[in-house]
Amino acid sequence: MNEELDSQLSAMFDDELAPAECELLARRLSRDESLKARWGRYAIVGAVIRAERGVRLNAPLAGRVNAVLLAEPALAARTAPRDRRYARLRWWQPLAGAAVAAGVATVSILWLRTQAPLGGTTLVAHVPAQANVASPGASGQGDSYVVPRPKPAAALVPSTELANYVVAHSMFSNPVARGNLLSAFMTSEAPASGTEEPQSDVKALAH
Amino acid sequence: MSADASDLSLVRRVQRGDKGAFDALVLKYQHKLVKLVMRYVRNPAEAEDIAQEAFIKAYRALPQFRGDSAFYTWLYRIAINTAKNAVVSRDRSPVEYDLDRNNNDESYDMQGRMKDSETPEGLVLTDEIRSTVNAAIDALPEDLRTAIVLRELEGLSYEEIAAAMDCPVGTVRSRIFRAREAIDRRLREVFEGGLGRAEELG
Repeated sequence: MNEELDSQLSAMFDDELAPAECELLARRLSRDESLKARWGRYAIVGAVIRAERGVRLNAPLAGRVNAVLLAEPALAARTAPRDRRYARLRWWQPLAGAAVAAGVATVSILWLRTQAPLGGTTLVAHVPAQANVASPGASGQGDSYVVPRPKPAAALVPSTELANYVVAHSMFSNPVARGNLLSAFMTSEAPASGTEEPQSDVKALAH
Repeated sequence: MSADASDLSLVRRVQRGDKGAFDALVLKYQHKLVKLVMRYVRNPAEAEDIAQEAFIKAYRALPQFRGDSAFYTWLYRIAINTAKNAVVSRDRSPVEYDLDRNNNDESYDMQGRMKDSETPEGLVLTDEIRSTVNAAIDALPEDLRTAIVLRELEGLSYEEIAAAMDCPVGTVRSRIFRAREAIDRRLREVFEGGLGRAEELG
């Protein structure tokens, strides 16, 4: 017999074993008859030390209880019908969850559409005139970023502002996320034809 | 360390349908429960019957046990109620004496008379088990004997024993385990070798 296992059994008998270890040992104890017999003898040792007179130490009480319980259904089997009833009632719960999630998503999309500017006239971009070109080597303070010129008529002004914001804070963001965000913005703001001359509106935003 | 974790882990297994785990609980508490019931009935055999009934009631009620109290506290209440009901139904009055006063000669004599109802072989084996365990305890080194007695007789936790013996908790755990192993070695020989083995072992 493994001494460490027996030591754990002794500690478990005294309720001095960590719960996680108890779980594992309880499983083994319920199946291993020799371990169970040792467990029973530990109880006898305690009874003798406490001088429990009048108590038969060889009493076949555990065997008698076991014999009666053999005819009983296991507790899990006894509670199973109730569980099955609940299981029948529970089938719609994932569907309800999905429906609620879809509803929330729909409402969010509708709300965002109502918040979007119509025709680009409600918001005006304030792009500093002096920040047109930055020579990458001049400042020597970091990378330069290219921001496309806003379209004069139906410019996506809010997204340009957003792009500026993202670029301005790019030093503090994760490089991977930064790359993804920037590329997403570049793509979204590229002209439909894809032939437009590269920006004349270049801004040095390196901090 | 959470109190009652070992009982609770066994209880959870029973609740999941593992009857073998209930065996372990019966083995652990059968002597305590019989001793408890004997405060209400005179006859040890009758006390065993009542304890058996209490265990079966507990098993059937286990789905309702949520672990708010310790398992033994819960079992204790079931046993007390079962014993009281048995006494009422048989129109007997409870025995009013404290089993903890075992050193009292009068109490011991009373126990001796009660044993007459037992089978002779069972009584001899019980006495043999007692003498074997007591001899094994006497043969233990002082530190092991102190640790096991503080645990079993005084019911101290490992931490309390460590404080009392001025040693780490791990040492207490080891001492109690080694004490149990030494006693168990002798006890196992009695169970496997049959009656009279204790005398041979000396």
